[in-house]
Amino acid sequence: MKNKPFNSFEMAQAQFDRVADILSLDPAARDLLRFPQREFHFGIPVHMDDGTVKIFRGFRVQHNDARGPSKGGIRFHPQETVDTVRALAMWMTWKCAVVDIPLGGAKGGVVCDPHNLSNREQEQICRGWVRQVARNVGPVQDVPAPDVMTSAQHMLWMLDEYEAIHGGKYPGFITGKPVGLGGSAGRTEATGFGVVFTVREALRELGIRPQDTVASVQGFGNVAQYAIRLFQHIGGKVIAVSCWDQEDGRAYSYRKKDGVDLDALLGITDRFGGIDKDKARDLGYELLSGDAWLEQDVDILMPCAIESQITGDNVAKIHRRVRLIAEGANGPTTPEADRVIAERGIYMIPDFLANAGGVTCSYFEQVQSNANYFWGKDEVLGKLDVTMTSAFQAVSEMARRQKLFMRDAAYVIAVSRVAQACRQRGWI
Amino acid sequence: MLPVPAVPRFDRRFFDGTERFTRIGEGAVGGKAAGLLRIHDVLQNGLDPAEFPGILVDIPTLTVISTDLFEAYLERNRLHEIALSDEPDERIAAAFQRADLPAELLGDLRALVEQTRTPLAVRSSSLLEDALYRPFAGVYGTKMIPNNRPDADARFRALVEAVKFVWASTYFAAAKGYIRATDHSIADERMAVVIQEIVGRRFRDRFYPVVSGVARSYSFYRSGPARPEDGVVNLALGLGKTIVDGGLVWSYSPAHPAVGPPFASPSALLDETQTAFWAVQMGKPPAYDPIRETEYLVHCPLADAEEDETLRWVASTYDPDSDRLVPGTGRRGPKAVTFAPLLLLDEFPLNPLVKRLLAVCESGLGEKVEIEFALNLRSPSQGPSSLGFLQVRPMAVSGERVEITAPETQAQGLLLSSDNVMGNGVVEGIRDVVYVRPEGFEARRSREAAAQISRLNRELLEAGIPYLLIGFGRWGSSDPSLGIPVGWADICGAKALVEATIPAMNVELSQGSHFFHNISSFGVSYFCVRHDGSHRVDWEWLARQPAVHESESVRHVRTGSPLGVKVDGRTGRGVIRVEGEAR
Repeated sequence: MKNKPFNSFEMAQAQFDRVADILSLDPAARDLLRFPQREFHFGIPVHMDDGTVKIFRGFRVQHNDARGPSKGGIRFHPQETVDTVRALAMWMTWKCAVVDIPLGGAKGGVVCDPHNLSNREQEQICRGWVRQVARNVGPVQDVPAPDVMTSAQHMLWMLDEYEAIHGGKYPGFITGKPVGLGGSAGRTEATGFGVVFTVREALRELGIRPQDTVASVQGFGNVAQYAIRLFQHIGGKVIAVSCWDQEDGRAYSYRKKDGVDLDALLGITDRFGGIDKDKARDLGYELLSGDAWLEQDVDILMPCAIESQITGDNVAKIHRRVRLIAEGANGPTTPEADRVIAERGIYMIPDFLANAGGVTCSYFEQVQSNANYFWGKDEVLGKLDVTMTSAFQAVSEMARRQKLFMRDAAYVIAVSRVAQACRQRGWI
Repeated sequence: MLPVPAVPRFDRRFFDGTERFTRIGEGAVGGKAAGLLRIHDVLQNGLDPAEFPGILVDIPTLTVISTDLFEAYLERNRLHEIALSDEPDERIAAAFQRADLPAELLGDLRALVEQTRTPLAVRSSSLLEDALYRPFAGVYGTKMIPNNRPDADARFRALVEAVKFVWASTYFAAAKGYIRATDHSIADERMAVVIQEIVGRRFRDRFYPVVSGVARSYSFYRSGPARPEDGVVNLALGLGKTIVDGGLVWSYSPAHPAVGPPFASPSALLDETQTAFWAVQMGKPPAYDPIRETEYLVHCPLADAEEDETLRWVASTYDPDSDRLVPGTGRRGPKAVTFAPLLLLDEFPLNPLVKRLLAVCESGLGEKVEIEFALNLRSPSQGPSSLGFLQVRPMAVSGERVEITAPETQAQGLLLSSDNVMGNGVVEGIRDVVYVRPEGFEARRSREAAAQISRLNRELLEAGIPYLLIGFGRWGSSDPSLGIPVGWADICGAKALVEATIPAMNVELSQGSHFFHNISSFGVSYFCVRHDGSHRVDWEWLARQPAVHESESVRHVRTGSPLGVKVDGRTGRGVIRVEGEAR
C-alpha cells in the first residue's frame, strides 16, 4: 500500500465520504455523487507534421449536472489520467455549488504535451476532441473552458469546430474565448484575483492587515501572476515564486526577500509560466529548489500550480510563521497534509472556494455569450468580488458555527446544495 | 485644526452597518470628508436633540473612496498624460470613462449598490483642499445618481461612471486654473470621493429636499440692519445646485430672518426669486451621457413643486388687490419662493436651528464657518422632519484693520468706489485692468465676453500678473442675461472683482455669492457698483489707458500708475485709487 501511486479521484472520494458522514447523506445520494454521471473516453487521430499519425487519448467526464449545465476545463497534460479528470470534474461540481452559480461539474483532458506539438497539431487535437463529444456538450449541456496548458486559441478552434458541426453560432458553447470574440473582460484576471479576494477576507477575519503580510506562491502561470498582482495592490508582499523549468524538467523557486517585481519577472517568463533562470539570477533572484517556496518565512502560502504539492512528506516544512494557505490550484494539498495543517491551526481556504473565481467568471462569460451582449471589466470584476466574498463569508460562517475546518465547511455547503438539487429533481 | 478621526473600513453594509461613516482604501479621505468627520463629534456633543424636538439632525450616511485608489486608477490606466494635457474636458472625461477602476474597489461598490435603492451623491473630496485648509467650493465635479433601477447592473454602472467622472473632473480646465491660482500644481492633487445618501424625498419622478441652504457665520458685506458677524443664509428650493451655481436664491441674515433681500416691488420680487429648482430624475432613464454632470438631474418649474405640495413650505402668494405678498400658498395667485412659511410663520424652526448649528460648528472648529445643509420637511402626521448636514468649511476672515469713511468714497482720484464691497484689506501695485466695455454692451454678448476673459485670465495667470476685473451683472451667473457666465477658473487671477450695472444690464447683483468662498479664501475684494447709485466707475479714464488687448466687448489695459485697492470689511466701503497720478 505504501508504494501505491497517488490517485486524485480516490482523494476526492475520500473527501466526499467525510462530508457525506457529516451531512448523514442517504446511501443513494452517496452513490450518485461519489461517481461521475457520464464519462466519454476516446482516441483522437492526428496527422503529425512529420507525416506519421498519432492517436491521442481524450476524456470528458460530467460529474453532476443537477444544478445546471456542466462546466469544466480541458487539460492538455502528458501525465493526464482519467482518474485525475474524474476528481477534477467532481471538484468542479463542488466549486460551482459553493459559489452558488447554476452550473454542474465536468472536466476534460487530452494526454499530450503541447510543448512538443506544433500549432497545427494542437489545432487538430482540439477539433478532434470536439468531433468526439459534439453531441454531448454545448451551451445547455456542458460548457468547456481552458485549463492546464490550453488557451483562448484552443477554445476558438474548438468553438469553430462545434459551430461547423451544428451549423450555427453558439458562443455560449465554450468559455475562455478572447475578448472581442465572445470572451469576457476580466476572465484573464478572474482566478488569480478571486484567490486574493478570499485571502483579503480571511485576513480580515484573522485581524491582520494585508500590508503587514508576506506571501510565497507556487506556480507562475495565469493564476499565480494575477494573484500576485492583486495581492501587491492590496498592500501585501510576495517574496518567492516557483515554476516548472521545461529545459531541466524540474521546478525551481525564485526568491527575493525585499519582494518580487512582478512586471520584471513577467518580462523573462515564457507563455507557459516558465521563468528564465539565468535572467532571474541577473535580476537578483536566488534560485532555490522546487519545494523551497513551501519553506519560506512568510504569513501566507498560495499553491497556484498543480495538484498534490503539499503532502505528508513535506507538510512539516511549512514555516511556523504561516497563518494562511489559499489553494489557487486544484487539489494541491493531500488529505494527510490537510490533517497536519488543521492541527497546526493554519487557516485554510480550500481550492474549490479559493480558485472559484475562474469558473464564476466563465459563468459570466457564458451568460454574456448566450445573450450576445458584453459587460465592462469593472462590471465583471465587481460581480466577481461580491460573489467570491459572499461565498467565502458563507463558508467561514459555517466553519465557525459548526466548528469545522474550512475545507469541510465548504464541502458541507457545496455537497448539501448539490444533493438538494438532486432530491428536488426527483433523482434520489 | 481638529484631527480627522479614524474611519472604519466599509464593511459592505451601507445603511445597516454598524458604522455610518466608512472608507474604502487605505489613503487620505480629502477635505470634504475630513470636514464632515471632524464635525461629526462636534455636532453629537454640541447639539442636544431635546433643543429641537421632532427634528433629526445628522450627517447623511457616507463612504469615502480614499486617494490611494485614485492614484492606482491613474497609474494602472496610464491616465497621467491625458489628465495633465490641455485636452478639452470632454476628452479627459471620456478617457477616464474608458479606464478600469482598481479591482480592489469594485467589490465594495458592487455591494453598495446591491443593497441601496435610494439616490446617491458622488462628490469630490480633494487632498489639497485639506492640506491647504482652504475650501475648494465648486471646483470639482459632483454627480447625483438616482440609483433606483431594478437591475443592480445598471445601478452599478451608473455609480462607476459617476466615480470616474468625479476623478476626471480633477483635471478639468476649471480645476487646473483654480489650482494654478493657489501656487500649487495640479500634479500634486489627489482626489478622494465621497459617496453619500442624498437628503430628500421622492415626489412622483423627482427626488429633492424641500430646502437646501448654505449658511455662513460671517458675512463679508453689510445688508440692511445686519452686521457682518451676524452671518448670512442662502436658501433654495430643491437640490443645493441652485445655490452652488449662483442661481436665484433667498438670502437673509440669521439675526433678522424677517428681512429678506431688497426688491423694488413685489413684481420685481416675483421676477428675481427662484422660478425653477433642481431634482434628481427618478423616472424614465435619461439619455446616456456619463460625462455630463447633470445627466440624472432635472430642472423643474415651480408648478412641479406645487403639484408635489412642497411649495407650501417655502412660498408666498402675490395678492394683486393689495399688491403685496402673503406668506403661504393658501390662496390663488402667482407664487414666489420667499421661505416665508419657515422664516415668518415659523412652521419649522429653520432659523433657530441654523443659528444653533453655526454656533456649534464655530465653537467646535474655533473659527468662522460655512455650512451646507438640506431639509426634509414633513407634517407632524407624516413623521419627523430632518436636517442633513452636508458640509462644513472654515472661512478665511481677514483681521486687517482698514478704515474708509463715507467722504473718502467720494474723493477725487478714484477709479471707482462702493459702499457694497466684500472683503477686507489693502492690495497695492495692480497695473492691469480687464473690463467689459460699457459702450454698446448687450446681454447677448455675455458668452463671448466670458470666453475672452477666460483667455486673458489664463495669459495673465501664466505671466504672474495680478489684475482688476470689471464686468456687468452677476459674475458667474449661468444665465447670460443676468451676467457674465464665467466659472471661477476663468477669473481666478483677478485680485479684485467689480460687478457693475449699466442700463443694458440692470439686474440685482450677486454680491459675490457665486464665488463667495473662492473670493474669501483667496482674499479677493468684490465691489458692487450700481450705475443708478451714488458711486461710479470712471469709464473715461479707463478708455484713455493703453490697451494690451481689445475686442468689441472686452478690453485689457495696462495703467501708467499702479492701482491701490482698499476695502473696509466692517463698513463694506471700498475704493480703488490710481496711485500717484494727478487726474
